Amino acid sequence: MTAMKITIGYLYPDMMSTFGDRGNVETVRRRCAWRGIGTEITELKLGDPIPAGLDLILIGGGGEAQQRLVAADLHKVKAPGIRDAVAGGTAALAVGGGFELFGRFCQPERGAEYPGVDLFDCWTIRRSTLLGDDYGTIAQAKADRVIGELVVQWDDRLLVGFENHSGGTYLGTAAQPLGLVLTGHGNSGTGTEGVILDSAVGTNLRGPCLPKNPALADFLIAAAVGRLHPGAELMPLRDELEQAAHDDCLQRVLPAGRIRRVRPGRAAGTGPARQPRLTRPQRSPQRASRTTDAATRP
Amino acid sequence: MGKAARNGIRRLGKGNGTAIPGQVMLRVDPGALGGMIAELARGCVLVTGSNGKGTTCRMLAQIMRAGGLHPVLNGEGSNQLSGLATTMVAHAAPTGRLRQDFRAIGLFEVDEGSFPEVMPHIRHPAAIVVTNLFRDQLDRYFEPAYIMGLLERTMRSLPPDTTLILNADDPRIACLAADLPNPRLYFGMADTGPCRSEPDPTSDCPRCPRCGGELAYSSVFYAHLGHWACPGCGLARPEPDIRATGIELIGSQSTRLEIATPAATTVISVPLPGLYNAYNALAAVAGATQCQLPEESLQAVGEITAGSYRMERVEVDGRDVYLALAKNANGYTEVLRAVLGDGLPKRMLLGLNTNPGKQPDTSWIWDVDFDAIAGLVLVPVVSGNRAADLAVRLKYAGWPDPGDVIVQPDPVAAFQAALAATPPGQPLWIVSTSVVLSGIRAWLRRHGYVRELWQEFAREQQEQARRPRLRIRPQAPALPASVQPRPVRRRTALPLQTVELPAADMPSAGPVRPLVAGSTVSMPTTADLPPLIAEGDDPAAPAGREASIEDRGAGL
Repeated sequence: MTAMKITIGYLYPDMMSTFGDRGNVETVRRRCAWRGIGTEITELKLGDPIPAGLDLILIGGGGEAQQRLVAADLHKVKAPGIRDAVAGGTAALAVGGGFELFGRFCQPERGAEYPGVDLFDCWTIRRSTLLGDDYGTIAQAKADRVIGELVVQWDDRLLVGFENHSGGTYLGTAAQPLGLVLTGHGNSGTGTEGVILDSAVGTNLRGPCLPKNPALADFLIAAAVGRLHPGAELMPLRDELEQAAHDDCLQRVLPAGRIRRVRPGRAAGTGPARQPRLTRPQRSPQRASRTTDAATRP
Repeated sequence: MGKAARNGIRRLGKGNGTAIPGQVMLRVDPGALGGMIAELARGCVLVTGSNGKGTTCRMLAQIMRAGGLHPVLNGEGSNQLSGLATTMVAHAAPTGRLRQDFRAIGLFEVDEGSFPEVMPHIRHPAAIVVTNLFRDQLDRYFEPAYIMGLLERTMRSLPPDTTLILNADDPRIACLAADLPNPRLYFGMADTGPCRSEPDPTSDCPRCPRCGGELAYSSVFYAHLGHWACPGCGLARPEPDIRATGIELIGSQSTRLEIATPAATTVISVPLPGLYNAYNALAAVAGATQCQLPEESLQAVGEITAGSYRMERVEVDGRDVYLALAKNANGYTEVLRAVLGDGLPKRMLLGLNTNPGKQPDTSWIWDVDFDAIAGLVLVPVVSGNRAADLAVRLKYAGWPDPGDVIVQPDPVAAFQAALAATPPGQPLWIVSTSVVLSGIRAWLRRHGYVRELWQEFAREQQEQARRPRLRIRPQAPALPASVQPRPVRRRTALPLQTVELPAADMPSAGPVRPLVAGSTVSMPTTADLPPLIAEGDDPAAPAGREASIEDRGAGL
């Protein structure tokens, strides 16, 4: 593990970091540093092309005005680079507004749709006229948005976070959802949340999501490291504080006693990319977790 | 009727009751508020923006008093429609009319999100001060662009002679409603001594308000406030009329400012630390200039006491405990910079809380610059219902050993722990969102260290009233046409006026009612003030009485 290093492309740090999305970058950087993995973070602003050899691409969320500028730039300058990189094994995390732009298109309340990166087979349509030129009252605006805590079952573990978006993201037939919504709204209120394509993840989870979901962070790091060092294992870290924040969130949103901690079957991200189930689980999460426990018990 | 409701609430100990009288009035007669405000002899000045509204108001009020005016102000926190209505009810005689006072001037802090609801009641404000615009409460107010739209749209209905007093250093504010004919008065920093060369990486980085291009800064004071220009379209920061030509930050206690107004240059000392308070003082001086107050009265800024939770100092068993409210990323960063700016390690309790049903979002803590102060905080204690999130944040900011951070969600227990770790004679700083602070303050009050916020406010008002008036006899400055007393028009419904009571203002039943820098507006008489020390509480030994503390803690 000596002199191992990953290159991170951080898209639009000045425009698409509305919800503390910098925290995701910081999490990757620190978790790599604690393992002796170097990180080189390249900030990619408007007009900068995607350099070759990126191991991880990160993009956060932004407001309507920023999305419009960013969408044009993504389409003109960066989209082919991003698609090629992911096809070549680069990991990616697109959150909120960035996730919406990584789909096929994003239809704002009014005006022409924004072209997307077309990485994920999904698209976003805002529900009604709201944040365009016609500003309503706070109460009106609020009624049109989905704001609240979001808990997602991602394979055999839970992801926690916070969602704040308007409209719905709809998945095409080629898209694999990241997971299933246990609490919250998710993509379009139909029970799925996010998209996963190889090691590229799109999600509505904010908060930011990686600090409180170290498993997801390590999944991305493992994929990024694995690009040049196939088969490399990540050293486990002490995640008491992260786990406490994760459990804290579960306790806030889930009825007491319904969810026990889901014990991970493997060290994060070391196995092959998992395919989450596409249907809602028949059993309650508690039962599901029990089976997992039984399966992994020696 | 409204007052009766408030006193009832206070007697029950269920909070301030700052919103109730106003809500009662707005229900009974929605037009009455506008009528009362129109009765203010010298018109009114509004202060809005993301940060610094409350402190700017306090400073301006002090200047106005020194200048011989009688400001009618809503206490910190009651800055939504019902709070404003309560203020006016409190100042009204039982007949429902304002007491006749030719020196009365309204000075209202208005929540930026409530601006559209408040404005229709204030038909003719003399001036509107806009301090700055940051990301704040994203889950409540969304993006700054949305608030900008809200402000601009509301300002379209302003009479053309209302002066806009704007922060020249905030690009969005400087270009607020640029096409309106209203007179503008800009304030800004001229001394580039304490500046940085680039906007904080965690700031909003607003783009050019005209062309949307990236802005270039020659100097930045904090967050995105600085000397800006757009290389793309040539738009540049307007030259401010009120300039701070010299800034001297004196430790974590105070600031000395040299301020140039169109008339003269004055040196004032601000007994509050931090660049953000220098901006507040500038805004207040700009307001005073607009009101044509004499130059000598500006010195009164030096007499302000810290507002509740604004670096409020409380002495607890030989230790100075400072309570500082920080409710958004820039506020938190600037408070930490002000406290730790001298580079000396300090003992601190950091809090993070969300209110049930409100603000579940705490992602902004990742935009707070905790990295720069890693190692400067001895025995950090984190508290609040989101203490776990804050602890993770500190870990990822590279704080030396996350194991040393004490995580204690209960505010009172956390305060006990922090106090125990602070030797007598040493200061303890508490920086937090409101719920943790109000929890700790409630405990301090029960143990006799401080009084209720509304009592503090009332006491301050009384002290002001006792002070010798008119140290400077005003030479009756000519009033601008906009502030001439107008004929009283009461009890007329405003045309097409929907009054919406924001749910946020409804008092919750539980004792956990968030004070949200809550405060009050009325001026009870001396008889209303309870003794400093509540009966049955022994202020002598608060730290050692675990059992009774727990009893009380349960009531929080």
